[in-house]
Amino acid sequence: MAGRVSLAGTFLRVGALNELQYRVNFFLSLVQSVVAVGTALVVLALVFSHTDSLGGWSSDELLVIMGVYVLMGGLIRSVIQPNMQQLMDDVQEGTLDYVLTKPADAQLLVSVRRFGLWQTVDIVVGLLLVAVALVRLDEPVSLWSVLAFVLALVLGGLDIYCFWLILTTSAFSVIRVDFLVELFDGMYQAGRWPVTIYPGWLRIGFTFLVPLAFAVTVPASALTGRLSGWLLLGAVAFTVGLLTLTRWVWRQGLRRYSGASA
Amino acid sequence: MSTASAPAGVSVEVMAQREADIRVSDLRKTFKVPEREAGLRASMRSLVRRTHREVHAVAGVCFQIPAGEVVGFLGPNGAGKTTTLKMLSGLLFPTSGDVSVLGHVPWRRERDYLRRMTLVMGNRNQLQWDIPALDSFEMNRAIYRIPYPDFRATRDEIVELLEIGDLVRKPVRTLSLGERMKAEIAAAMLHRPQVLFLDEPTIGLDVTMQKRIRTFLGEYNRRYGATVLLTSHYMADVQALCKRVIVIDEGSILYDGSLRELSTRYAPHQTINVTLADPGHDLGGFGEILTAEDASDSSRVSLKVPKEQTSAVAARLLAAHDVTDLTIEDPPVEDVIEQVFSGPAPTSVGSRP
Repeated sequence: MAGRVSLAGTFLRVGALNELQYRVNFFLSLVQSVVAVGTALVVLALVFSHTDSLGGWSSDELLVIMGVYVLMGGLIRSVIQPNMQQLMDDVQEGTLDYVLTKPADAQLLVSVRRFGLWQTVDIVVGLLLVAVALVRLDEPVSLWSVLAFVLALVLGGLDIYCFWLILTTSAFSVIRVDFLVELFDGMYQAGRWPVTIYPGWLRIGFTFLVPLAFAVTVPASALTGRLSGWLLLGAVAFTVGLLTLTRWVWRQGLRRYSGASA
Repeated sequence: MSTASAPAGVSVEVMAQREADIRVSDLRKTFKVPEREAGLRASMRSLVRRTHREVHAVAGVCFQIPAGEVVGFLGPNGAGKTTTLKMLSGLLFPTSGDVSVLGHVPWRRERDYLRRMTLVMGNRNQLQWDIPALDSFEMNRAIYRIPYPDFRATRDEIVELLEIGDLVRKPVRTLSLGERMKAEIAAAMLHRPQVLFLDEPTIGLDVTMQKRIRTFLGEYNRRYGATVLLTSHYMADVQALCKRVIVIDEGSILYDGSLRELSTRYAPHQTINVTLADPGHDLGGFGEILTAEDASDSSRVSLKVPKEQTSAVAARLLAAHDVTDLTIEDPPVEDVIEQVFSGPAPTSVGSRP
């Protein structure tokens, strides 16, 4: 375990140091982030010029959701997406062979090789949004709800990672997967609203198929006094289950890749 | 290693056998590939019902390589070389057969095994494109868990041998193909592997780069006694590095033995190139005429002559004609290899005990 952490640490350090060379990207990321958040705020203002609440969430509570949405988006674009894209490229170009001949856990290796430092701008912007929203809400935030928020964020990140890896692992047999990134981006857009506003079937889809509910709505609920201990426990159980499933799917993918199942 | 305690009198042959690093017996790999005719109708049909064809990429291959030996693995494209290398490096499960490398079954992919071998594929990169090679080296250090002092020593030694001191600090994408390949090879050697699988390590490189890489591989083999299995389309690589070659075609071994014997067995002829002071002579009586060019004041002729008669024929030529120049050449190894693929051996197929 210590070895794995130090391996991930080395990769993170090397990735970050190299990103530092491309400082222009910082400003690009910042501009991109500000434009995206600005547009979203306009839409939010438009919606609340017609109504006082959406699916039981007030405008400032929705701002929390938006903050978490931006934050999680930053996490996805800085850690999850670059690694998964690299994995897809490796499968198509045959360079996954190099990963598989390394004396380390292959799943860990393909998950930590890339790190987009400047995409973490979105994480900061997201946190700022959440802070602003909490100040405007003017309700005391307990230590417990902050802890629950952090835990829910980690779980949500892991859920999205699992979702991605399961999709990407299908690349071992289905070669055309370029559209996966766009498909996911499209679906992730839906996460800027609480999943409770969607009709039942879609809500279930956004909870268990594409884990948007766990990635965005659940952490936001923790800060707005909506999260019960049972729901958090449920999120833990779901994540453990999903990680196990992902491991299994990954192994099956490797078996197929090396022709062991044929 | 039991070398030190080996009883006196054990022959070198036996020792080599006992310490074989790589043992392959009756290795087979069969791929199922979907097959269809060209055209729309056929593709529609294949959507509903797929027909498969079995391709025997490797069809019963046996060989052993003792520790420290460099072996050239030759064959045309699609002969089964890469498939064999992939099975030896643990990337592919065989359909049947046994392989042991350093006492491990490769496709179990045990860390102890992976830590002691390396795979280099000339047409595929493992270095990250946007970062300097040094950083990728650092990542490999973390993966192989090489202690820092060892890492630094090996890295500096390899960097010096390959003469890439200035290059490893530049982002890999700014390097030329040859420079990148040297950096790739350096990255693959940082953990000082005992077994090297090299698939076309010099492909597409210019002659100087090929030579540099060849020299490095030879030096690495000498310093660390590493076992090397190498495929290359450049016979110069094979001639410089490998005393022994294994020739494979359509998944089966055609020849396994010394490079020298390959030439004697498959090319029993030599070429005599002779330049005469005056044109217009017919040298047909001395041997088979390969080429003949007449100029106004000279004539150049190439003759194909059985090997055992070369010196006699050369002497007769010198006595009978006004010869200004005469050279005797072995046929290029490329031609010998072509000869191997084109038909059965003149004598029995070579094999090693």
